[in-house]
Amino acid sequence: MILPKLDYKKAKSLEEAIEYFEKSNGEAAYFAGGTDLIPRIKLRLRTPSLVIDLKGIEEMVGIKKTDEMYVIGANTTIFELKNSEIIRENLPTLYEACAQTSCEVLQMRGTIGGNILQDTRCLFYNKSLTWRRAKGFCYKMGGNVCHATGGKNVCYANYSSDLATALLSLGSKLVIVGKDGQRKCDFEEILTGKPEKPFNLRQGEIVKEIIIPGGKRQGAFEKIRIRGSIDYPLINGAFTMDSKGGKLVVGAIGSKPCVYSVETIEEERVKILSETVFNDLKPVNNTVVSPVYRKKMGKVIAIKLIEKTKKGA
Amino acid sequence: MRNRKISFTVNNEKVTLHVRPYETLLETLRERLLLTGAKEACGLGSCGACTVIVNRKPVRSCLILTLEVEDAIIETIEGLKKNGNLHPLQKAFMEKGAVQCGFCTPGMIMTAKSLLDRNSRPNRSEIIEAISSNLCRCTGYKKIIEAVEDVCSKE
Amino acid sequence: MEEELYVVGKRVPRTDSIYKVTGAAEYTADIKLPNMLIAKVLRSPYPHAKIVNIDISKAKRVPGVKAVITGKDGYGVKWGVFKYTQDHMMLPIDKVRYVGEDIAACAAIDEETAQEAIELIKVDYEPLEPVFDPEEAMKDGAPLIHEGYPRNINIHVHIEVGDVDKAFKEAHYVREDKFRAQGEAYAMLEPYACVAYYKNGYLDLWMPNAGPHVRAKALSNLLKIPLNRIRVRHVFIGGAFGGRSEVAPADFIVSLLSIKTERPVKLVMSREENAISSRQVHDVVARIKTGVKKDGTIVARDYEVIYDGGAYSSTGPIAASVPFYVYEECYRMANVRYHGYRVYTNKGIRGMYGCHGRAFLAGCEAQLDLIAKELGLDPIEIRLKNGLRAGEETATGSKIISCGLQETIEEATKKVDFKNKWKKATRLKGVGMGCVAIMCGFPMGFRSGSSCSVKFNDDGQATIITAIVDNGQGNESMAIQIASEVLGIPMEDINIINADTEATSLDPGAYSQAATFVGANAVKRACEDARRQIAEIAREKLSCEIKDIVIKERMVFSRKNPENKIPISWIVREAFLRGKPIIGVGSYFPNIDLKREWVSKPFGQMAGSFSYGTSVAELTVDENTGKIKVHKFIAAHDCGRPINPMAVEGQLEGGIMQAGIAAIMEGNIWHNGFLMNPDLLEYKIPTAKDMPDIETVLVTTMDPEGPFGAKEGGLTIRMSAYSAIASAFYNATGRLFKELPLTPDKVLELLQTEEG
Ligand code: FES
Ligand code: FES
Repeated sequence: MILPKLDYKKAKSLEEAIEYFEKSNGEAAYFAGGTDLIPRIKLRLRTPSLVIDLKGIEEMVGIKKTDEMYVIGANTTIFELKNSEIIRENLPTLYEACAQTSCEVLQMRGTIGGNILQDTRCLFYNKSLTWRRAKGFCYKMGGNVCHATGGKNVCYANYSSDLATALLSLGSKLVIVGKDGQRKCDFEEILTGKPEKPFNLRQGEIVKEIIIPGGKRQGAFEKIRIRGSIDYPLINGAFTMDSKGGKLVVGAIGSKPCVYSVETIEEERVKILSETVFNDLKPVNNTVVSPVYRKKMGKVIAIKLIEKTKKGA
Repeated sequence: MRNRKISFTVNNEKVTLHVRPYETLLETLRERLLLTGAKEACGLGSCGACTVIVNRKPVRSCLILTLEVEDAIIETIEGLKKNGNLHPLQKAFMEKGAVQCGFCTPGMIMTAKSLLDRNSRPNRSEIIEAISSNLCRCTGYKKIIEAVEDVCSKE
Repeated sequence: MEEELYVVGKRVPRTDSIYKVTGAAEYTADIKLPNMLIAKVLRSPYPHAKIVNIDISKAKRVPGVKAVITGKDGYGVKWGVFKYTQDHMMLPIDKVRYVGEDIAACAAIDEETAQEAIELIKVDYEPLEPVFDPEEAMKDGAPLIHEGYPRNINIHVHIEVGDVDKAFKEAHYVREDKFRAQGEAYAMLEPYACVAYYKNGYLDLWMPNAGPHVRAKALSNLLKIPLNRIRVRHVFIGGAFGGRSEVAPADFIVSLLSIKTERPVKLVMSREENAISSRQVHDVVARIKTGVKKDGTIVARDYEVIYDGGAYSSTGPIAASVPFYVYEECYRMANVRYHGYRVYTNKGIRGMYGCHGRAFLAGCEAQLDLIAKELGLDPIEIRLKNGLRAGEETATGSKIISCGLQETIEEATKKVDFKNKWKKATRLKGVGMGCVAIMCGFPMGFRSGSSCSVKFNDDGQATIITAIVDNGQGNESMAIQIASEVLGIPMEDINIINADTEATSLDPGAYSQAATFVGANAVKRACEDARRQIAEIAREKLSCEIKDIVIKERMVFSRKNPENKIPISWIVREAFLRGKPIIGVGSYFPNIDLKREWVSKPFGQMAGSFSYGTSVAELTVDENTGKIKVHKFIAAHDCGRPINPMAVEGQLEGGIMQAGIAAIMEGNIWHNGFLMNPDLLEYKIPTAKDMPDIETVLVTTMDPEGPFGAKEGGLTIRMSAYSAIASAFYNATGRLFKELPLTPDKVLELLQTEEG
């Protein structure tokens, strides 16, 4: 499958990358591993005239640990994370999410930054231009109907990052660099909840690093998929527990994972919480299994995660 | 859009080419260098048939722009045979019956090779973990796993 | 006395594998010819629409475009394997019948240019009402997809044996269920491709195919070119599984483009095109009614199976019949009624599949277990009781000359302590089995037989020439192995020329499981003929009797005096000197009833012999997530005698994945005529991580007709592995499946319904 015409530039520094972007009239796309972006361009879901390769920016690679926090460069690959002693020992939630992402060869290419900034997915959307043109463009494509639901001017595409679900449960922050300098914000803040435009980033901004609060963090990650490898989640969930309480996240349904603060994990409360999760999830028929199944799994996953964490603690 | 100049090493040979900026490594290998061992079965990163090794890492060459591999060292299935001798994996795939239609084979062997390059004695579950990056429609994977195990036990 | 064999039966590396492990094997997409053009196809965006006008003028003007064609450039011929299935023009002129149907095509200097031109073709359509569901399509008043096929019934196969209604009345217990299965994708890893090169009135072609002669015949008709001018060449093939059997629109398109330009033209489909516009597998609905006596003897069967055929006939009559036959070749059926309907719908064309008919077969076998339980029997007992044996005849009149059904059942179940596990099925953990028989070749008229010739070089090495096709299963190597055995020279001394219509004679191809039983039988006979000629000369030289001649490791000698050896090359040279070079020919035509016809006369000998197989699965069901985990899978197959055990095992292992694990993962998903998972991401081919612990057992029955006793090498598992999963699911949950695949959502739904 051939790519449409586009230019390629490799940036050696953040400044250079941003400069390239600025000159592109907003038509450029950043990429690192390319495992999400290149297929999208091949399918003509995105049509940048320039792709800016961030892999040469060295300050964006690596895992650092201090007492207060972990700092992960956005270009760190999922495979590096999975094999990092630091992550495995201290952040089981993230470790599991990495291990269950795609397959090893793609883990070696895909980066944490690219993974959390992957666009949303839908069975009606991630198709070739020919397919979509024949079906008629959906809302996310610039049309006005959502094929999955028949609804007008709505979109239910799923944000399918496993790492994001884990990172949200860990209370992560992002360091973002743009032409006006650097800013830091909660990861949750950049998620718009709009599947057609899932991220709240200003034009040309780059996620430079991910910051996770320090310490050894108990937790677990769950993912339901059809096959054991090369498969996006039908639903995923993560739970992280500290002395102050826990954070439960259920993702891959819609464009923004549901985040819950969990004060206590006694059985009755967990049951109520799992009902809340069930009620909050609004899956539609846009994956290979039924929406009601995915809804039910929210409940199952919530209970399982908390139990697993209890056992591990 | 003008073609751009790029140099890299493929199977120990240095090459300099002019490629389109939007050309994938798979296209360059197959169309320009006539190294057709790497196959395109999906073109979207889902199957691994196009796997080659770049700087000791296995990659899906259908997802990589050729311009990304400036100065890189690339290994493809065609370069595995050294001085007329098959690579142990090639031999084991033949002897253990791990090859049927063969369309997945080059990618599968390159994935397995990269595993052995970083871990010469992987256990069974590590082998399965690695080769579950590649799809095979014919074999049910049993003999592929056995072939890789066979190489490990001999090394 | 058991003959002594040197090569046959040994685990030898396949001869083709050296090409494949080095990357040297050339598949169609790898072919590059001087001056070659690249083709692209414009496809229908509508499931059902009249073609009002096609304007190609703009496309033609794109610089670099060398030809643009539409259906008007063809000859108006409709193709179909049978007289009564000729419905497919390859490039339609009247209307389109599915999303993705070929409309027009172009050839250009490169892919980008071809793509650009395709986008400039303007087609005016007049949308027609489509119909997608076969049961809907059969209703009066449903839109008609083809003229002359009322209620959209493309094929109706009706078989009736005994007195079914009476038998039901007399039955002790009767059970009726309805089962469904989503169609699968062949998902061969090689996307479809075709290269055509027309020069001086001759057309050369390369494409993945399962029978070059059948392909050439179709193209000869469609292009009105005599057979000797259409030459389908040998090429490596990246999997077929039944899906490369029929002529493809791409073949016709690329040929026409090459004829127009007199340049080589290549078309390579994308994965999505391959899924949508090559072939797919039938969705099936099966109604299964079974009546038994108290002792477990099945006395009455009534089957109605509806096959979603998509837009064209393809191998329709065969597809509408085979699931029934592989079952009646396995079990005694004194009273049986079968209605098989293949129905047109506005979806992609469906073809035969190595695992075809899972709703029917898995349905029958899972229901059988329920019946066994009802009667206080177990799955083994009820199968042994009703299974056919050598010497018996099937319901439609095929005599069975060898049968290892009982052994496969016993061997496979022994490995997991089946009886005990089945009885004590703990909640959500179960075992199950499925059995089936497979015909080794089926009636294809004069194409049912095969022939081969073998010639020798002056250094004593040989070349066999046969039309056998290798889609990846190892047929080439198998033929060489057999030749090596007969000729007494090592496999590396033998070359093969095959799958080339110019050099080889008519053959059924790798289509009807005939490669070993029919094709290799011809190879064996040709080599025996050559061997006879060698022995004639050797007898004089060694002054011994013909019957004592042994040829082994390139040497010829008398059994009585093994010290006195002559190299085979001497004899070959002697033959040249005598003006009678050693050239062996041989052919084989199986014992089949040539009057047998799929629709009009479905009775008589179906095939020369039948293979038998049993699949056993052990699995657990997660009651919270509905996920099934298959722990262990055993496949036992009676292949007569394995020529290369390693290759046969490979077929069984592949079958376990493609039919067994597929039963919990694989299925095409549709939305108003659009295929929702035409890729390798959302269509779930199992990965290495999804595979259970596998054991294979090869049962030897020494078929009296097969070459060295061999039969078909492994399809029984492709057609029974899903039954084992369905039965094990019943054992684990007390529930029959409703629809395959048993994805976790469907499992959970079943778990929440009443048992039974
Ligand atoms: S062709 Fe590259 S992953 Fe499938
Ligand atoms: S051998 Fe055919 S796909 Fe692996």
